[in-house]
Amino acid sequence: MSENLDDLIICSHCETIHKKVELPEKKVAKCSVCGKKLYSNVEDTFKKAIAYSITALILFTIASMFPIIKVYIAGQESDLTIPGMLITLFNEGFYVVGSIVFVVIVIAPLIVILSYIALAILTYFKIFRGFAKHIVSFLITSRSWAMVDIFLISILVALVKLFGYAQINFGVSSIALILFVIVDTFVLKNILPVELWTYFNRAYDEK
Amino acid sequence: MKSNKDKYIRCPYCESVNVDNGGVVYCRTCKNRISGNKEINLRNAWAMLITAMIFYVIANIYPILVISKFGVTSSNTIIGGAIALWEEGSYPISIIIFVASVFVPLLKFILILYILTNYKKPQKGSRRVDQAMLYHITEVIGPWSMVDVFVVAILAGVVHMSSVKITAGIGATAFVLMVFFTMLSAMSIDIRLMREDNDGD
Ligand SMILES: [Zn+2]
Ligand SMILES: [Zn+2]
Repeated sequence: MSENLDDLIICSHCETIHKKVELPEKKVAKCSVCGKKLYSNVEDTFKKAIAYSITALILFTIASMFPIIKVYIAGQESDLTIPGMLITLFNEGFYVVGSIVFVVIVIAPLIVILSYIALAILTYFKIFRGFAKHIVSFLITSRSWAMVDIFLISILVALVKLFGYAQINFGVSSIALILFVIVDTFVLKNILPVELWTYFNRAYDEK
Repeated sequence: MKSNKDKYIRCPYCESVNVDNGGVVYCRTCKNRISGNKEINLRNAWAMLITAMIFYVIANIYPILVISKFGVTSSNTIIGGAIALWEEGSYPISIIIFVASVFVPLLKFILILYILTNYKKPQKGSRRVDQAMLYHITEVIGPWSMVDVFVVAILAGVVHMSSVKITAGIGATAFVLMVFFTMLSAMSIDIRLMREDNDGD
């Protein structure tokens, strides 16, 4: 084979093939055709991700345990919690809606966070390479099913619908949820697949 | 820097570059199947897309939300809900609901249809790029159609007083299935459909 395949990269956005170049610090390689980011310095990005995933786990736990909003309608009070909402859907027989909502706002985000943490531990000790590989694949797939950000926007939309009829107070979890979405958007979902794989290979191949 | 692009294929799971032999390709790095039988992939994509479209129609006919106030029930379809919000003066929210629930799924259908119907025709380089771009647009906008389902789940989760009660409607079930099958359809599109010249061997 004339070229080493590891020196090549194909833009995930427009499928154009490029030769990889050594990057100076804090520089980003971009696609010459569509301008999309190809890769950056992976070491920093991943170290950042570990700290943030632990933060994200704490925020997510708070967000799903306590009321996000409290609503008063006609003298009666009611809370919005993620488990409560899912239980209501199941109790009323909406199993399909309940299951899909459960997957996209609880299971997928949790898999993403836990995968980052597991990956950090495994690569630190350089153990279970094969298993870690599955984690990376799984993490990347799960990210496209995690929709907490959209759920947050939906809460705002629901609030507007309730404004006329109800008095609304924000619960502790609303802040946790907002912070979680910020971390999720700017860190957890922002690391490119290729950067994860580069980090993975480097972590195991380095002596 | 560019080099010959048709010999190589990108692994969608691990992004590593692989040699494309034109047949079934397993990734040299992560061992996942990158590309299989194009015809089967195409058939799957069509089947998922048509299923999604049927659910889209059902989701728009049946109520997504049922409100019972003092024993009197009324229901809202997706479009009915958006119109009601508009009439109440909540223009931005009405637009969000309309765009997320009506427009985004339609746009996604059109983009997937375009990719599926165009891939067999010979294409010039620039068209190929468009194809990949269109696919990425569907990936980015797709999840946003979940807004209405979440809103229904939230309202049903919070409004269950003795005097007023909101529950989900059949439309909500059809709607999540529509979102699910649209995502599956997009995922079964072979990566080569976006890239190859398809000029025969
Ligand atoms: Zn590109
Ligand atoms: Zn691979």
